[in-house]
Amino acid sequence: MTARICILDYGMGNLRSVEKALEHVGATATISSDEGTIRQADGLILPGVGAFPKAMERVRSLGLEELVAKRLDAGIPVLGICLGLQLLFDSSTELGGAEGTSLLPGDVAELDADGLKVPHIGWSPVRWEKKSRLTEGIESETPFYFVHSFAPKPDRDDLLGSAAYGARFACAAEADNIFGVQFHPEKSSAAGLRLLSNFAGICAQAPAPA
Amino acid sequence: MILYPAIDIRGGQAVRLLHGDYEQETIYDADPLDAAKRWAGEGAEFLHVVDLDGAKAGEPRNLEAIERIAATIDCAIQVGGGLRDPQSVRAILEAGADRVVIGTAALRDPEFLDAMLEAHGHRIVVSVDARAGEVALEGWTEAGDESVVDAVATLSQRGVARFLCTAIEVDGTMEGPAIDQLNEIASATSSQIIASGGVGDLTHLESLASSTPANVEGAIVGRALYERRFTVAEAIEALGR
Repeated sequence: MTARICILDYGMGNLRSVEKALEHVGATATISSDEGTIRQADGLILPGVGAFPKAMERVRSLGLEELVAKRLDAGIPVLGICLGLQLLFDSSTELGGAEGTSLLPGDVAELDADGLKVPHIGWSPVRWEKKSRLTEGIESETPFYFVHSFAPKPDRDDLLGSAAYGARFACAAEADNIFGVQFHPEKSSAAGLRLLSNFAGICAQAPAPA
Repeated sequence: MILYPAIDIRGGQAVRLLHGDYEQETIYDADPLDAAKRWAGEGAEFLHVVDLDGAKAGEPRNLEAIERIAATIDCAIQVGGGLRDPQSVRAILEAGADRVVIGTAALRDPEFLDAMLEAHGHRIVVSVDARAGEVALEGWTEAGDESVVDAVATLSQRGVARFLCTAIEVDGTMEGPAIDQLNEIASATSSQIIASGGVGDLTHLESLASSTPANVEGAIVGRALYERRFTVAEAIEALGR
């Protein structure tokens, strides 16, 4: 079965590149903020670039916070990308601080880059911290493409991947059907496509939308 | 070195000015987002966005366009132009900029600068415009009387981690960057320097990479990219070091 994946559109993120990558791996991708469309999807992607407080404001004003929580409860997988990963957590210190969606416990803080240039831009090897269907077939320490100044601090149990930039930071998280990556899989060549393909596979096996 | 393709916005359009003169303007993209998409699509990792209307008005005037760029393009961006108070700086960061560039205000209002460094740290870039080795203020239409080297040394001690140094004499001319001046400035500080002004061909970028110290971390390129003298990918390769 082909997974129908909805990329949540709250006006922040390079949604087309995510859409193209999903189509490339054989998923059916739509970009929408419409409740009906979102409810029909086998999986959701929460994208995002920009500032955390504004993104949260938009996610809330579109009713997406509640809707995503409900879809997760219904067993639908959700993948946060970049800022979208950060939004899954309790809060961020960015621009004086803002509350997140609290779908995952933990806070988002500025990278402790130990003197290196921030934002962290470029390819960094990602170490898998636990076994996951999302990362199946991708070797630990495979490089992914990053553009970010902040990163989350998930619970140990939810930590899926880490990378080093000055200091080690969490760059992937997973708890039940919630997934998130700080890097851009849609810009991370073959490994990134494999990750999206794995996510599409997880979505295809998830309970049918109801 | 990092390539920073420049997107200067005036009246909602992407333009280039010659010598910073508002009367000598060329319009390149009716929508600056098109320029941003083009440079990002060609591999740019960091964009340099200037709100020219804001620079004149003393407060952001193209926030909507800046927000659209920041919310659409997934490379890093820094934004400057008329940022003279904490609210304006915050508005730019909230719009999604990774860094803000403050100019005149940093030089005239040390308390403002200190407050911004305290609040935003390395996300603050201070722009110093040089004409004949002296600091030019107020969107370049006013002359200062402090040497650029002294200004950069003083500001570094205040905690500025990164400077944008524009050589007005060569800006928009594509006749080559002011390398001697850059070297003088770079040796007066251990902070990072982004060079701006004069790049017209790949040899200019190669000489920036080969003839400046390591803390000259990047170069802004405007007109030469808009006129397709070279591609973003070629520029990044020429700046490799």
